[in-house]
Amino acid sequence: MRWHAALRVPDHRRALPAPHWPSVRGRARADAGPLLLAAAVVAVVTLLAGAVPPLLTATAGDAVQDAVRRSGRDSDLLVHARLERDDGVNGGRMRTPTLAEDIDDFRDRAVDALGPGLRAAMRPPVATVTSPVLKITDGSVLRTFQLAYLADDRKSGGGPHVTWIAGGPPPPSAGGVDSRAEVPYEGGKPWRVQVGLSEADAAALNVRPGARIPLADDQGNVKDVQVSGVFRATDGADPAWGLAPSLLRPVSGADGVGTTRFTGLLSRESLPDARLAFGPDDLQRTVWFAPDPGKLTWDSAHTIGAKVVALKATSGSSGAIDGSLKWETRLDDVLRNVRVQVAAASAQASVLLTGVLAAAVLVLLLAADLLVRRRAPALGAARQRGVALPDLSIELLLESAVIALSAAAAGLALARAVAPGASWAWVIPVVLAAAVAGPAFGTLAAARATRDRRVPANRSARSWARHTVRLRRAALEAAVVIAAIAAFVSLSQRGIAPAADDAAGLGLGPVGGGALPASAPALGVLAGTLVLLRLMPAGTGLALRQALRSRRPLAVFGAARAAATSARVLPLLVLVTSAALTSFALTLDATAVRGLEDGTWRTVGADARLDVLPGATASTPGLVRRVAAAPGVGQVVAAQVTDNVRFAADSLVDSRRLVVVDASAFRRLLTSTPLPDAPALARLRGTGRGDVPALVRSDDGGPPEGTRLQLLRDGAPSIRLTVVGTAPAVGDAGDVVMVDAATLAAAGMPSVPDTIWVRGPGAARAAAANAGAADVVLRDDLLRARRAAPLTSGLLRLAWASAATLLALGLLGLLLGAAASAPERWQTLTRLRTLGLRPRDARWVAAGELLPPVLVAAVGGPLLGVLLARLTLGSLSLRTLTGQAADLALVLPWWRLALVTAALLATVAVVVPAESALRRRRRLSEVLRVGDG
Amino acid sequence: MSAAPSTEPNAGPLLSVRGVHRSFGAGPSAVHALRDVSFDLAPGTMAALIGRSGSGKTTLLNVIGGLDRPDSGTVLVDGTDVTALDEDGLSRLRRDRVAYVFQTFGLIPVLSAAENVGAPLRLARVPAAERERRVELLLELVGLADHARQRPGELSGGQQQRVAIARALAASPRLLIADEPTGQLDAETGLSVMALLRGVVESEGVTALVSTHDPTMVALADRVIRIADGRLEGQLGEQAGGQDVT
Ligand SMILES: Nc1ncnc2c1ncn2[C@@H]1O[C@H](COP(=O)(O)OP(=O)(O)OP(=O)(O)O)[C@@H](O)[C@H]1O
Ligand SMILES: [Mg+2]
Repeated sequence: MRWHAALRVPDHRRALPAPHWPSVRGRARADAGPLLLAAAVVAVVTLLAGAVPPLLTATAGDAVQDAVRRSGRDSDLLVHARLERDDGVNGGRMRTPTLAEDIDDFRDRAVDALGPGLRAAMRPPVATVTSPVLKITDGSVLRTFQLAYLADDRKSGGGPHVTWIAGGPPPPSAGGVDSRAEVPYEGGKPWRVQVGLSEADAAALNVRPGARIPLADDQGNVKDVQVSGVFRATDGADPAWGLAPSLLRPVSGADGVGTTRFTGLLSRESLPDARLAFGPDDLQRTVWFAPDPGKLTWDSAHTIGAKVVALKATSGSSGAIDGSLKWETRLDDVLRNVRVQVAAASAQASVLLTGVLAAAVLVLLLAADLLVRRRAPALGAARQRGVALPDLSIELLLESAVIALSAAAAGLALARAVAPGASWAWVIPVVLAAAVAGPAFGTLAAARATRDRRVPANRSARSWARHTVRLRRAALEAAVVIAAIAAFVSLSQRGIAPAADDAAGLGLGPVGGGALPASAPALGVLAGTLVLLRLMPAGTGLALRQALRSRRPLAVFGAARAAATSARVLPLLVLVTSAALTSFALTLDATAVRGLEDGTWRTVGADARLDVLPGATASTPGLVRRVAAAPGVGQVVAAQVTDNVRFAADSLVDSRRLVVVDASAFRRLLTSTPLPDAPALARLRGTGRGDVPALVRSDDGGPPEGTRLQLLRDGAPSIRLTVVGTAPAVGDAGDVVMVDAATLAAAGMPSVPDTIWVRGPGAARAAAANAGAADVVLRDDLLRARRAAPLTSGLLRLAWASAATLLALGLLGLLLGAAASAPERWQTLTRLRTLGLRPRDARWVAAGELLPPVLVAAVGGPLLGVLLARLTLGSLSLRTLTGQAADLALVLPWWRLALVTAALLATVAVVVPAESALRRRRRLSEVLRVGDG
Repeated sequence: MSAAPSTEPNAGPLLSVRGVHRSFGAGPSAVHALRDVSFDLAPGTMAALIGRSGSGKTTLLNVIGGLDRPDSGTVLVDGTDVTALDEDGLSRLRRDRVAYVFQTFGLIPVLSAAENVGAPLRLARVPAAERERRVELLLELVGLADHARQRPGELSGGQQQRVAIARALAASPRLLIADEPTGQLDAETGLSVMALLRGVVESEGVTALVSTHDPTMVALADRVIRIADGRLEGQLGEQAGGQDVT
């Protein structure tokens, strides 16, 4: 290319550089292609990097709602306060006819204490008053009974609506509504209380209105409770019922293994009698607030969490006599967990984004390099005509700044359309690279064009100059390697996600404490690529030597060109970096997806699980038979799974999940799933004498083998267990004790299976068809739900978007690199054509030149990406999203990695023919005439 | 193919150009670079093609060598009609029978001098041992045996052109086309390159067609072909009346 135009007269005496507009316009028009490409890169990356932070904030809000919704009653905010004293004037206890109003006052007081922010996020409160749990004293089955009063803040007073289908609402038992009767503290006969029973409870207890329920407390004191009526809930789904489910139907297991609880409903009128029927402090009054997930946002979650913590801190000690409020909730834990998850997700997102940004910056540098190569003759000519270097720089800067800023503005506008609140912060490095790289390279090229004439003639000066160049490069490489090491050290020491308490804000931002660890993978890839770059010339040199000796005549030409271009840093840097980061993102995605899957195996335990409803456990054996007979069902294993079973070890009692199962059947089930095998199950078959062997699993490691445990039972002797190993995980419970059903039965405790695991392709259908009296949990459903969880799906989508963008950047880099080396390549090819090289052979030679760096990237990139994924996996906290207990094992998405490789190679296969088709249009004579070099 | 100098079995011309026209563009702005050019060249001759700048020398050489196609007319090289060949045929022609030396040398920068010289032999699939022998011989012939390992960028212009000549001779072509081979060299070097060409025409028995501006070079040629405004000088008077010149 020659600079013909007559153009400008250099204007000397000027203080400020002034751009020469026609030159600026002419240059921009001549190189519209590369400039537009750079603009497109800036726009796309701006769109991605601009939209992710606000999307993440929105997702964080969804995640808060999701977590609170999932946590169910755990997120309820409870406040207790003692009832006021009811001392009468005569030294006894006086009936308080206004007790129901007191409860209403208490509820209102609690509402006031919430403060406006917290109150706005809560559903209407429900106050409850509950009695201690009593035993039903007839029969041998362990049945328990409780009295409960519900009062939501409806105008009507009292709890949720009911219809009385027999008898009526509980009246005051003696002396009328306003009775202020006084009873002695000790020794009086039991005070009668009237209660209503639900249909189900009444039927199970086989009582009618007017019947008395034979009850006694723990000390054996008889209670006088009479059924006033039988009711049916107008709306059984009213959340208030959830506070005492046994009001509506018998609930088994609530008071220990094999127990069934019933609850009698108190009315405003019978509540004062209940007070007198129990000790002065025996009734528990509580106000329940359930958070309304729909009203939670990421920001409000933060203030609410803080307010909840503050409320809990003001709670008086449990021994306080006064009526002070005692707050109780796990909402703050739930919110903290979400914060940790969000922090982890945003850190993971910043890892991905940093990778995209790094690749984008490199591609922009490569585009600038190409641009300057195209312009070098013109720039040099301009310099020789006397255009000042600052003028030239300003012109180039103007051009690239206009392009970078307008592209970024367009990208940001798009991002704003997708996600309101898109921000500049992440985009700055990309815009800077787009704006500055071109002018910087161009100025250097222009300066070199005039300086070249003064290349030192003497040998030592030349070698010294080479030496400084080499030193400068080594220093740069050392800086990258050191930064990568620092990033890795800080990543492995602190992990990617800040500690829960620091996780107040979204950790997503290009600056701040998280930036260094978040850039570890990108820096690691850069450092790895630099190593590859150092090896590259040696490799192509070797290839060239081989080619020189090879029988294939064409090999040498491609190899020679490849050896000549192998020293070029940017193209290989772009190729390897983007291939590696693409593979990294894909590996992360595959690992997370597999992790989710493993997590669902753990939660469900098989393809399907049937949780037999309490009270229907008698039907379990039949259910097992029916499910097992269904087509496509492999294993069916039934077990008794009971939570909160108390175990004593030495003098300590703690509660764990007890799993009673046929050990060998369970082991077969385990080995048929991806869940880890548990060989220790073989040790559960007892000898029939001595202690029952048990496997124990604990979050904190659990007791060592040989430890003795006692399985505590109400109303039955405890059973002695010996720990013989670690239990496999059963569901998401941390603490599990597992014993063999037959062995336990032999020791005197027959099991009542209530959980059925079903494995096999037809498991889901079989379980759903036979559900009847059981809740069905399908692993596929759970997996779908977990993948759809806001943070998880958001992160998986981001991983995909990043992988796609990175791959596109890599392919673009390949094209740019090919375009940059095209003139020299085709000069050589043209010259070879004059020697008799056939056109189609020219294509092979071109491919021979382009392939080596692409091969290095196609093979080395995925390897590097996987290596980095392996190195960083432990610190990336993926399991906070996948719901796994242990750290994830790396999963290699072979097919997708192979696709990355294939995409790169296929691009070469497209570039070469396209390039040669473009050049073929010109005759050899014209090419030679224009001057091929 | 054989590396031995050919001893011309058939008596006819090695190169026969007949009625070649070549114009660029169309309409009133068309440039008639070659107008009805016809001449023969006997085997073993070294002909100088001279003419002013823009007279059509390069165009003629390109047409003869099959780098460009004439609008009409035929070019027979060693009995083969160049104008009738397809791309592969032309490639074969360039590989086996016609070699070029360019003003700008046209060496392949990433290959050493020896590899440049060996390149046509590789394309012709000459066995390695024979190739190496011939490369050595040719470098010796052009006086660059000591520079075999150097890359073109590390050689002077004159040395590069010698390498280019050695390369042109490598595959023992019948016709050597040189377009201003001394154009970028100083007078003295140019003369030595020209003398070299003269020498190899003799020693290798090739036929050479060399374009040049330089009258001193002309002295070395067996025959001089003058071209002006797209016409051969001898033909100029002959055809002036019949030609419609705009
Ligand atoms: N591709 C082309 N398009 C248009 N005109 C052309 C083209 N190639 C050559 N010409 C014209 O053809 C004429 C002959 O050009 P040619 O290059 O053959 O001259 P030349 O004798 O080699 O000149 P020089 O000694 O300067 O190399 C010139 O007028 C030139 O402008
Ligand atoms: Mg010419």
